[in-house]
Amino acid sequence: MSDLAIKTVNLTKRYSGLWSKHPVEAVKNLNLEVYRGEIFGFLGPNGAGKTTTIKILLGIIYPTEGEAYVLGQPAGDPKNHYKISYLPENPYFYDYMTGREILTFYARLFGITEPERSKRVNELLDRVGLSRAADQPLRTYSKGMLQRIGLAQCLINDPELLILDEPTAGLDPIAHIDIRDLILELRNQGKTLFISSHQLSDVERVCDRVAILNKGMLVRLGKIEELLAGGYVEIIADKVTNNVLEPIRQLGGKASLHDGRLIVEQPDDGSVDRVIDIVRAAGGHIVSVKPYRRTLEDLFVETIQGGKSV
Amino acid sequence: MNATLAIAGATFGEAVRKRILIVILLIALLIILISPAFGPFAGGRGARTLIISFGFGVIQLAGTFIAIIMCTGLIPTEIERRTIYTILSKPVQRYQFVLGKFFGAVGTLGFMYLMMGIVFLIATRLALGEFDGRIIPGLLMFFFQSSLLAAVVIFFSTFVSPLVNYFLSGGVFLLGNLLSSFLETIQRNPEVTPITRIPVQLLTIILPNFANFNVQNPIINPEQVITDPVAYTVQTIAYAIVYIVMLLVLSMLIFNQREM
Repeated sequence: MSDLAIKTVNLTKRYSGLWSKHPVEAVKNLNLEVYRGEIFGFLGPNGAGKTTTIKILLGIIYPTEGEAYVLGQPAGDPKNHYKISYLPENPYFYDYMTGREILTFYARLFGITEPERSKRVNELLDRVGLSRAADQPLRTYSKGMLQRIGLAQCLINDPELLILDEPTAGLDPIAHIDIRDLILELRNQGKTLFISSHQLSDVERVCDRVAILNKGMLVRLGKIEELLAGGYVEIIADKVTNNVLEPIRQLGGKASLHDGRLIVEQPDDGSVDRVIDIVRAAGGHIVSVKPYRRTLEDLFVETIQGGKSV
Repeated sequence: MNATLAIAGATFGEAVRKRILIVILLIALLIILISPAFGPFAGGRGARTLIISFGFGVIQLAGTFIAIIMCTGLIPTEIERRTIYTILSKPVQRYQFVLGKFFGAVGTLGFMYLMMGIVFLIATRLALGEFDGRIIPGLLMFFFQSSLLAAVVIFFSTFVSPLVNYFLSGGVFLLGNLLSSFLETIQRNPEVTPITRIPVQLLTIILPNFANFNVQNPIINPEQVITDPVAYTVQTIAYAIVYIVMLLVLSMLIFNQREM
């Protein structure tokens, strides 16, 4: 069994309109490997090609060039769909149905028969906290409840791979935390999660690795801790004179002095104590020492604005 | 099969709750209910013909509107709302989706025809004092006519927008009702050149003949004489089924290649 849940090789998707001379490349030569059992964040600005890639992985659209494999099989193979599931962004479900009926509907698509079907539906309603609303029509559900029912339909087949498009978008903080916890719980059960999201703080908290797409191209790929390495510590001190600037700069920090107030951005590499010693030795008074961790948002903005390609 | 039936059930459940379809059904039921009131205008045996023809006319019109309005949105709406992504990402083949949609539409039409048929039978029984033997075969013919129209609309919906589909399907229905009579007329006329006759003949072959289903209406087709009504009904229904199968196969082939 392959240890890859998803693999794309030079995946390209080109859209050419009937009258347009210039085709639009939604995805360009995408090479991606997602390992089994990891939570993989798939990021990018709007129009970066994330949803197009997901649609290719699900067999909803076909690649122009290149190959895509899901759980070792060519993407779109319906037999493979017994092992995967998908939650689209802002999903719509038949709103005349109740929560129980919609899950029963999706269970029937998998050919799950009674009494197993009712057992699974009840378990899932309980798991996503919708047992009490199970017999209410979906049109009475809040956005958070609909997102939960969306996740429940994703779990009806006990999938190996879950592809989630914006699973926490538009949710209130409590629903947000619940969904995030559920995602972590699924990872602990050994499932692979491929998450496309603009909620970068969520991605940073739950994902093991991320890929950033821009204009259809892969521009960053790696483990979160590796990509976010390089934080700094901000040191502010008063009553400092000009002669401390040079020794601090020699330690690799960015130092500036205005009216006796010193502001230093020092790499978080063990040299912070030495900067503090220099300031104190010069008669300065430390006002604050504040660590700044690089966030995924910083990385995202830097990557997209930089336009670098891996 | 389970997936197809599940999709058909969901389609039926959604369609029978559509307000526009309920309004059309209710208006049709109301007109059918009051149709016996028009009987006295014809007088004598003509009253029976008028009541039956009028009722059939209303049922056919309602069935046509229901089939077109319901089916134009069946597939495009699923794509627009992204429901189709949650369905096709399950072990559901695209042909099962198209079949499920069609069976759901036919189920809805069956339900609507049943409602109209019951009211029609009650109204005619009250007005005429007996059940008219033409009503049930007539309803069956119109039901198959609407089912064939539903297949036409679903076929177009796999590659054109709903707005274009309204006009295309409406046009095909209109031509399918008129072409065979038109062809007979021009074939009787020796002055018509092959340049005019051949395209009409071709269109008559390609487009479904919806006029075949209208024989129960003696006002519209007074010249029609059917010697064996049972054989004719069976033959026409078989024609509808063959045509529906052809349209569904084409729909599935197109939908299989479609990118959403």
